[in-house]
Amino acid sequence: MKSLEDISELLAIAWQGILSNRLRSALTVLGIVIGIASVITLLGIGQGAKLEAEKQVQSLGVNLIYVRPGAANLSSISQGQGSAATLTYDDAQAIRETCPAVEDVAAQYNSGFQAQYGEQNTSTSVVATEPSYVDIRNFYPAKGRFFSNTDMKEASRVCVLGETVANNLFGATGENPMRKQVLIRGELFEVIGVMEHKGVTQMMDMDDQIFIPLTTGYATLVGLNAVTGKQVKSILVRAKENEDLQAQFQITNLLRLRHNIQNPDSDDFTLRTQADIMQTAQSITGVFSLLLGATAGISLLVGGIGIMNIMLVSVTERTKEIGIRKAIGAKYSEILAQFVIEAVLMSLTGGILGIGLGVAGASALSQFANWKTDVTPASVVLSFCVSLAIGLFFGIYPARKAARLDPIIALRSE
Amino acid sequence: MTKEPETVIKLSEIVRTYNLSAEPVYALRGVSLEIKQGEYVAIMGTSGSGKSTLMNIIGCLDKPTSGTYTLDGQDITTRSDDELAAIRNRTIGFVFQQFNLLHSMTALQNVMLPLVYAKVPKVNRKVKAELALSELGLSSRMEHKPNELSGGQQQRVAIARAIVNSPRILLADEPTGALDSNTAREIMGLFNRLMEEGMTVIIVTHDPETASHAKRVIKVKDGLIQEDTL
Ligand SMILES: Nc1ncnc2c1ncn2[C@@H]1O[C@H](COP(=O)(O)OP(=O)(O)O)[C@@H](O)[C@H]1O
Ligand SMILES: [Mg+2]
Repeated sequence: MKSLEDISELLAIAWQGILSNRLRSALTVLGIVIGIASVITLLGIGQGAKLEAEKQVQSLGVNLIYVRPGAANLSSISQGQGSAATLTYDDAQAIRETCPAVEDVAAQYNSGFQAQYGEQNTSTSVVATEPSYVDIRNFYPAKGRFFSNTDMKEASRVCVLGETVANNLFGATGENPMRKQVLIRGELFEVIGVMEHKGVTQMMDMDDQIFIPLTTGYATLVGLNAVTGKQVKSILVRAKENEDLQAQFQITNLLRLRHNIQNPDSDDFTLRTQADIMQTAQSITGVFSLLLGATAGISLLVGGIGIMNIMLVSVTERTKEIGIRKAIGAKYSEILAQFVIEAVLMSLTGGILGIGLGVAGASALSQFANWKTDVTPASVVLSFCVSLAIGLFFGIYPARKAARLDPIIALRSE
Repeated sequence: MTKEPETVIKLSEIVRTYNLSAEPVYALRGVSLEIKQGEYVAIMGTSGSGKSTLMNIIGCLDKPTSGTYTLDGQDITTRSDDELAAIRNRTIGFVFQQFNLLHSMTALQNVMLPLVYAKVPKVNRKVKAELALSELGLSSRMEHKPNELSGGQQQRVAIARAIVNSPRILLADEPTGALDSNTAREIMGLFNRLMEEGMTVIIVTHDPETASHAKRVIKVKDGLIQEDTL
């Protein structure tokens, strides 16, 4: 209990020291406020970016494998002109039929077109694909329906609009898109559904697309090539639960067989899994967070040096006070504690205000700049501890200088 | 009560030199001196004769270059800085020519400060400080900061601070040097009173009238005791 009283005593003395030069103390605290606030905000931005990247990758669907034409290795000779046409609808069918680890397959052929309804027209991406697309992408119609196997078989002239496309074509008039005929490169398609909102995933606006049956696409718009047959731009594959590796293995072997490839180096297709994408996203956001953290750390260091600087000035300016305190009986440890506590009080005050400002800054960024931020409790605790440590670290040297002063010399100073 | 008063301060062959340049400056050249409990001593001498140096050593603010200083029978010269701080806090009260008050604090806070370092409980502190201030006629000035007080009032606050912890020895180095003669007389009256209360009082002064109040006058010249009326 006695020591508790001592501590409150020391706090009171230090507090008086801080108040004795309010403006200077406030400016010193401000340095820490800015440092800690930028730590909190920047870590929040980094964390938000990371979560957002993870969420986007998650929203692509689970156990997804992308099969694309062309080699992964850009320097390979197989990356020729014609290589982009090497993947066909038959490949997709073969994967569906012969790979046991594969749950579902959706081949797709996407291409940019103008779509028109009445006066309105918009340039968008037309995705010719299969009904299985919705389950694989985990992306469903909000209104109406997606096209069915029957639509596929009959190559029906139907389409499903992405939210953005629906707004662009029908938003101005407020008409209901359902059952309307939309014109795409001179061909009419009946709207049978409007997709739910999905947002941007993997740099692609999922809402700015029109979906049509793959067979209809071949019949009207795209992809039919005299040499290669029904080509596709990519094949989306969903592997069975926990069988991603087997699925990749089976697909690779199947395609090599079908494409007569002996040397793996001359593969004319590429597999990418969700894990690959996740890893890339994480490593990018990781570097991002690190850079942000380093920037914030530097501003904190500057704040800490500010504290040391001010404490040194303060010790010099208050040499007389130190002399007086020593003359009436202050011990080394008491003078030391006074100045260390002063530094710590300032840095902690700055830390607490900085945490408040940082949290406010992060949420303001999310609100007004639409940046995803996430301030974790860990970053708050970290900032608090860091500001405490800064006060201790940068306060100890000036405090020792003060505590070591010779009383007579200190008293004589003016 | 009839017992012979004991010796509180005993200096023998105290030398204090300053080695700022190649040629050392001798502030004290070998001072030996005994002061008994309850004595009232005036130290006189021309400027630069070594009076302040002597007072600082007696007050445990400074250490002699050589010689021994015994306070209450204990050798002071071997004590650590923290032990000296404790002696300054409890055994000795020091009054300076320049008052040396903390300007950011009120009179009351200034007087409470030695009690803070003496670890006196908070409640007692205020009571003691208020008592000391009112003894010196400053009851109505307790919440004033030093720059709101006259020179004489500031010196009285400083005296209150020096005596608040009930020290046995009161040292004053030219306490009236910065005051006009009327105020100086008033302050000297206070020292006379404190001496009558049983404190050992040592005052450095230039003023012969002040010195005449003291029972004993020590004259210092060139770092040596030239005359001691005892
Ligand atoms: N810190 C110091 N450095 C160098 N010389 C000093 C110092 N303090 C005092 N002196 C010298 O010591 C001598 C005695 O000084 P002091 O005790 O202050 O004299 P007084 O108080 O009698 O005027 C003087 O010659 C003075 O110049
Ligand atoms: Mg002097």
